[in-house]
Amino acid sequence: MDTTQLLKGVLDLAVLAVVSDEDGYGYDVVRRLRAAGIEEVGDASVYGTLRRLYSSGALTSYVVPSDEGPHRKYYGINAQGRAMLEAQRKDWQEFAGTMGRLLKTEVVR
Amino acid sequence: MSVLDTTDVLDVAGYAAAVRRSLADLGPEQVDDLTDDLEADLAEALDDERHVAHGRGVLEQFGPPVEYAAELRAAAGLAPAAAPTGRVRLFGDPVEDTRRLGRWALGRLRAQAWWAPVEAFLIALRPAWWLLRGWVVYQLVALVLGVSGWLPRNLAAFLVLVGAVVLSVQYGRGEWFRSRRVTWLAVTANVVAVLAVLPLLAGAHDRVAASESVYADYTAGRLSGGGGTQTIIQDKAVDGVVVDGMQVSNLFVYDAEGNPLSDVQVYDDRGRPVRTTFDNGFDQYWFPEATEPWSFVSRVDSDGRARWNVYPLQGAPTSEFTYDDDGLQVLPAGSSATTPPWPFAKAPALDAAPEATIGAEGPAPTPTSTP
Repeated sequence: MDTTQLLKGVLDLAVLAVVSDEDGYGYDVVRRLRAAGIEEVGDASVYGTLRRLYSSGALTSYVVPSDEGPHRKYYGINAQGRAMLEAQRKDWQEFAGTMGRLLKTEVVR
Repeated sequence: MSVLDTTDVLDVAGYAAAVRRSLADLGPEQVDDLTDDLEADLAEALDDERHVAHGRGVLEQFGPPVEYAAELRAAAGLAPAAAPTGRVRLFGDPVEDTRRLGRWALGRLRAQAWWAPVEAFLIALRPAWWLLRGWVVYQLVALVLGVSGWLPRNLAAFLVLVGAVVLSVQYGRGEWFRSRRVTWLAVTANVVAVLAVLPLLAGAHDRVAASESVYADYTAGRLSGGGGTQTIIQDKAVDGVVVDGMQVSNLFVYDAEGNPLSDVQVYDDRGRPVRTTFDNGFDQYWFPEATEPWSFVSRVDSDGRARWNVYPLQGAPTSEFTYDDDGLQVLPAGSSATTPPWPFAKAPALDAAPEATIGAEGPAPTPTSTP
């Protein structure tokens, strides 16, 4: 099954979860998602999602100068983002539970 | 993050530019928002991926820029790109690309530790540039109107200069030319000013240098001349014989007793014939108290060569000359060349002392042979 389609619905949640652990810049978030096992997400999707979450007020953003490379724009979570994360976490867990039960009965039947 | 080699950065820059072109319909601000760190992210991702997939280029790693851009905008919740209007843009918007390149270069520079003080210094210089830019605009207007000079010389030109400076400074301060309809005008003027400033400064410098040299000549002439003698400054030495700043057309030679000599050949210390005329008989010469101009004829030496260093030059009033078949000015048969009027029939005799010398330009009255 193509998990890319599944991911699209929950990418916001995944990104919020990663950023709530620790502030990060674009590729840093991509790397941590991959490290967490979410391999099939495109870089651009993550950057776009970060941008959209920032625009909607769920993330803060600040620029960190670097001595050896270009400056990087870091994203961090704020109160609104945490609220969104909690709500979506709950939604996801309920949905996952429902799906789990559904799939379990399917298998058992 | 490891240091990237140059080709990677170039590739990344090209890829990022292509992505931005695909987003161009969103407007510059949104494109900036979406792609602020794009180069850095791409470079880092590429560098990271290389550990597992060595030798992959930007294109293999990220796919076509158009698709990357589409993914970016979809994830950001923006409307997909409008269907292409049929016009294929090969090179994108050069103005927008240049601006982005500049912004990207600035980003790289700002990452350098030494750049911050340099930038602060340059920012402090900005008002000077605004003034200079106003002056450049004034110079360009003056050039069109055919006026020259560092600074205006009349009220109208002065007002133009003041106006240009005010416009430039107000634009620099961000006060004027902010509306989209006129901003192109200001940007164009800025670009023109940047391109024109060096040629204009060079031209103005040349003009000032020229007038300074004239002034220097003037003061030098006044200081050295004393009694109103004009100093003629010429690049090339005048050929011929000059007396008191005036080129002479003929020489009259007197012997030690002061009697006039004729047919005297004159050479310089290197054996070169001393000539007073170089026109081979075409020109006309006026003598003091003459009623009409004269032209001279050459003498012929024993080898048949025309000789113009035999003094006094002989000739005839120009009106007596005719033209031969070759178009040369010749005296018609029947009339012959004569010696022009002598300045005086007899010169003062020299003292008979043996050490009596002859003037520098006066040849010895003894026959000389052609060297």
